[in-house]
Amino acid sequence: MDNPLTVDTLFHLGPVPITTPVAVTWALMIGLTLFAWLSTRRLALVPGTLQTVLELFVTTVDGQVHDTMQRDPAPFRALIGTIFLFVLVANWTAVLPGVEPPTAHIETDAALAMIVFVATIAYGISGRGWRGYLATFAEPSWVMIPLNLVEQITRTFSLVVRLFGNVMSGVFVVGIVLSLAGLFLPIPLMALDLLTGAVQAYIFAVLATVFIGAAAGETPVAAKPDKEDTSP
Amino acid sequence: MTIDWWTLGLQTVNLVVLVWILARFLFRPVSQIIAERRAAAHAALDDADAARRMAESARDEARAEAEKTAALRAQILAAAREEATGEKDRLLNEARAAAELLRAEGASELERMRRAQQRALSREAGELAADIAGKLLDRIPDSARISGFIEGLAEAVAALPEASRRDLGAGGTVRLRAARDLTGTERTLLEQSLKDALGHAPELHIETDPGLIAGLEIVGPHAIVRNHLRADLDRIREEMADNG
Repeated sequence: MDNPLTVDTLFHLGPVPITTPVAVTWALMIGLTLFAWLSTRRLALVPGTLQTVLELFVTTVDGQVHDTMQRDPAPFRALIGTIFLFVLVANWTAVLPGVEPPTAHIETDAALAMIVFVATIAYGISGRGWRGYLATFAEPSWVMIPLNLVEQITRTFSLVVRLFGNVMSGVFVVGIVLSLAGLFLPIPLMALDLLTGAVQAYIFAVLATVFIGAAAGETPVAAKPDKEDTSP
Repeated sequence: MTIDWWTLGLQTVNLVVLVWILARFLFRPVSQIIAERRAAAHAALDDADAARRMAESARDEARAEAEKTAALRAQILAAAREEATGEKDRLLNEARAAAELLRAEGASELERMRRAQQRALSREAGELAADIAGKLLDRIPDSARISGFIEGLAEAVAALPEASRRDLGAGGTVRLRAARDLTGTERTLLEQSLKDALGHAPELHIETDPGLIAGLEIVGPHAIVRNHLRADLDRIREEMADNG
């Protein structure tokens, strides 16, 4: 079995090495794009089964964002929803034979956490302004400025480590059991990986929501997510 | 453990692109269709609310129309009642007038009958009185039927106007009606008394009429002088009839 802490290079595009997580991510992107494009081509006021599922997913994301941030979920819908959907699908690729989840490699998790980190800063500046956002580091006292700065790094790092550790360990354990035991023995562990993957996707999305919401600051309570905005 | 920075960069770009793609092809269309359905539901609710308001308006109009109809009905009933009352009063007045007229006619008829009956009674009473007087006179001397009335007749003639007295006997004979035939003495006394009353001696044409009961009557061209019981009884009867 390969070392899960290393990435395999499949080929090079000029000087750029294309590794397995990147290739799998591209495949997932293509799949998700096709799925999104095909499933939203014929949306109707009277929804079918697939449209109902999609609407349930979107309204659930909106509800989660609204409950966490207490504000209009529309500006955050696409980012939070994409993070959850990508992490979930990426984690569940563990059940495909020969496919290693991109989230089992720290580069993907770090990319996700970096996006959340940048989004936190962007939404914080957007919601509070430069001075307001910087002032949050001096809360509740200026003494807390070093700790708050460190917290920005550590909580981002914790996002990376949590997702990476859970997914990588699941893949690692299944690989070990599969190499030691029979064909069907890892199936319960794989099922457990599905549950773990879903839970980790939910945790990652919720933590991203909490971080972004805390940075964006408090605003007057927005309408319920299923009442107002239509922008993605 | 090492980090492949190329992979980290590519994955970052991949994820940013994926966010854009899903925002463009998944979240935006789905949230738009949700909003459209919500708008359609709101429109349907608004339409239903408008329809409800229209129904309420129509109901209010119908209620107002019903109240107006009821008011008009009450007005018509009141007018009909008033008209019926007027008609009843008019009929009652007409009936009263007719009854009054009938009552007046009845009273007049009763009065007329009473008067006729009174007259008949008076006449019968007069006749009865005449019979009684005749029978009573039968018990007194027969001379009383004439001689007792000569002086009264002469006084009545003397009381006549001068012209009437002058006319009596001026044209010829004077009719004299007597209850019986006059004796010579009675005729002489009568002629003397008339001569004294008239100033001249009239020529008498004496007629006998037992209906006079007792007494005399001179019939002139312009005057009749009565002094007999029949005339008295007739006068009494007429007075009774007039007073009755």
